[in-house]
Amino acid sequence: MDIDTLYALRSSSGLPSHPAVFLILLVLTWALHMIAVHVMLGSTALALTGAFAANAHWRRLGSAMLDTAKVAVSLAIVIGVAPLLFVQVIYDPFWYVSNVLSARWAIGFIVVLLVAYWAMYHHYFVGKEGSSGSSRWSLALSLILLLAAGFIMHVLASQALRPELWMAWYAPDGHLETSGAGIHEFNLARFSFFIALAAPVTGAWLLGYRRYLAHREDENPEYLDWIAGLGRKLMTGGGFVVLICYAMWMATLQDTAGNFPLSLWSFLANGAILLLILAPALFRSPSGSYGAFATAAGAVLLVAVAREALRHRILGGAHGYELSTYTIHFDWYSNALFCLTFVGLGGFAIAYSIAISWEAGKTKGLYTASPRVDRLGKFALAALCIWIAQYFFFGFLVMAQ
Amino acid sequence: MDNSTEILGLYPTWYQPALGSGWVLGIVAVIHVLASHTSVGAALVSTWLATVAVRRNRPELLEYVRKYGVFLLVFSYVLGSITGPGIWFSATVASPRGLSALIHSYVWWWATEWVFFVIEVVGIYLLVYLAGKVDGRSYLKIAWIFGLASWATMLVIVGILSFMMWPGQERWFSEGGTLNGFFGPYTFAQILSRTCFMLMAAALAGGLIAAYIRDGAFRLEMTRKLAWVGLFGAVLGAVFFQWGLTTLPESAQLLMKTRLPGSFVPTMWAILAVIVAYFSTLLLRPSALKAPLAAGMMVALLIFGIWPEERARESMRKPFVAGQFVYSNQIVARDVPALGVKSELPVLESRGMLAVHPFIPEHLRRVDAGNELEAGHALAIVYCSNCHGLGTTGTRPFGEMFAGNRDAEDIERFIKGALVTGNMVNMPRIPLRDDEAHALALFIASLPLWHSITR
Repeated sequence: MDIDTLYALRSSSGLPSHPAVFLILLVLTWALHMIAVHVMLGSTALALTGAFAANAHWRRLGSAMLDTAKVAVSLAIVIGVAPLLFVQVIYDPFWYVSNVLSARWAIGFIVVLLVAYWAMYHHYFVGKEGSSGSSRWSLALSLILLLAAGFIMHVLASQALRPELWMAWYAPDGHLETSGAGIHEFNLARFSFFIALAAPVTGAWLLGYRRYLAHREDENPEYLDWIAGLGRKLMTGGGFVVLICYAMWMATLQDTAGNFPLSLWSFLANGAILLLILAPALFRSPSGSYGAFATAAGAVLLVAVAREALRHRILGGAHGYELSTYTIHFDWYSNALFCLTFVGLGGFAIAYSIAISWEAGKTKGLYTASPRVDRLGKFALAALCIWIAQYFFFGFLVMAQ
Repeated sequence: MDNSTEILGLYPTWYQPALGSGWVLGIVAVIHVLASHTSVGAALVSTWLATVAVRRNRPELLEYVRKYGVFLLVFSYVLGSITGPGIWFSATVASPRGLSALIHSYVWWWATEWVFFVIEVVGIYLLVYLAGKVDGRSYLKIAWIFGLASWATMLVIVGILSFMMWPGQERWFSEGGTLNGFFGPYTFAQILSRTCFMLMAAALAGGLIAAYIRDGAFRLEMTRKLAWVGLFGAVLGAVFFQWGLTTLPESAQLLMKTRLPGSFVPTMWAILAVIVAYFSTLLLRPSALKAPLAAGMMVALLIFGIWPEERARESMRKPFVAGQFVYSNQIVARDVPALGVKSELPVLESRGMLAVHPFIPEHLRRVDAGNELEAGHALAIVYCSNCHGLGTTGTRPFGEMFAGNRDAEDIERFIKGALVTGNMVNMPRIPLRDDEAHALALFIASLPLWHSITR
């Protein structure tokens, strides 16, 4: 595909803000989504290990991680909506073509994810506390399907980076192939890299979990130490695996990526992985640490930045596609609406939700909200009421004009 | 960036012969509508019940809210949260430019909905897991934040869906502005009717939980409460739905009268009557509530209520798929001066689809004696396959059209007389050049031969 065609494929409606705004949000929300995905995969794997283990610590951790996994799937899906939105906005030619070329897989993704989620719930309700339930296999199925869903996303993302091959995929030998049944491009090293990242991120999650449990007076210190040890192993050992996968990915990069492996962005990604490996040494507190998870989150964000730089290197460098040339029709209302909702309303509501669940989780018996937490809730509720009022105000204003 | 290049921004086509890509999208969408309507309605009902539970110190009611929340988590939220993006995926592959037109105008609204969606999902977890673990005032805040955030997701999506049908204000085409496209009479009619139908769906789903309450008196109380909610939702929803129909543009009214199957209106009234009868029965005889019956009613609502309603909505906006400027076959068919969008019909008329579509193989760029059949197939894929099966399967298949007539000249005459001129009210104008019309007619006439060759 030549550059004129790629530009022609852009939406003729243009964008309501500068593309850089969407790019930043894309990277940020994709990183958040991936953190949830990593915790989801890691906790599901730990829950599965626990379900098949005889060791009491493993069984207990497996049960706790099942609770984590179930929430993490929700969050991964919910947060994933945002990068899915933003990628369509600025990379529409690439994302849409890639999806159409593998349409059956794009539709299959929905079914795969649905079955994965329900399989996890099946184990949760049927076999969480049981010791030999066959439901353990539904958890195994869930993990396999979650990985399959990840692979489909990987394929769609990879195909989007191959405009030079689209026509050969869509019309092999000059004849239209419209079934959408094909998987045309993937890189197992790249896929392994993003999956392996789940190990150090989950390790960091365990260190935070150990710190959280330290608040409880009746906790078994041996169990807590075991969790911390497992977390450190996952961070360091998993980090090395991630490093190897990264090297393999860079060694197998497509030609159009040029000298990306030697770029500053690639060094940034390497630095992020090293940070994951070294984090257990940086946060050595025997009672665990939230710092390790914050570090892991930062590392994933750096990886997200490097991934975006790679996309820019391929689409911009090899194909001449510049995001900054997208037509802009600035829409003041919707820009303000999102910013105020995101920062004001969303900020208060999520802060309140985290604060109250955190405090309630640490409290034995009934938790009564502190004035500070209560105030957060009041602000969130007030912001919601104001939001709804402005919605109807502007609605009637438009109708009255 | 000037998009007026020689090549039009048309995407490849996904052709699904068994169902048609539109039906795949429709199936995902209908499942999502059931799950999301139940979720939003249940969020409002839960907020109300939680308020009563806390204010009147009714722990058993709180326990009902918690169990209802667990059910919603497993059913509505799993189904809804996956089929929601699932609609994007299926719309991406079935109608990329239609989706793109919506996304690019309403990205910030969708991002705003996403904020509410995050709050909503976090809220349902808090509602379930903090029941009885936090003080009453805090639980009420959690419930109200959850309920209002959930309703706000509906407020946002209703405006986008209204724009998808037709921009709220005609001035949107000349002045732009998302507000002008978002708000119209249809938007408000939909807010009211959907809110009511959501409450109705929530009452049906709530019955599934109420059926398992062991305390007989409490079960009867909950059954009556839900029956009132359901009746209120069904009756008022029907009234607002009727009002919504009066806000439709003339073209939609015409399509409603001429193109919808004759069974549509009777089916809608019948399902409404059945639902009203169901809730009335529960009011008079609450002991009649049984889980299989409640589940059956949910399925009936899906098959006989939501499916035909969504199909009708699809039919009403024809031949457009988004904002009354993108055709169902992905062609931009109207100028939108505010956005600098130009109709592609003149270019297609003068140069032909085969010459300007980026995903047409080079040897098909011009129709000649050696490629007529294949060029006709390419044209059918691009122009027709979104709505028609290119054989005997799928939606409105070619194999069942033209009254069995396989005479290429007759078909070509029909194409030139009805389609090239845009004389079919429910179909896009197909601005074929003469050579293209001939190739398409030849392809349609030769369908059995084509399938035997390509099989």
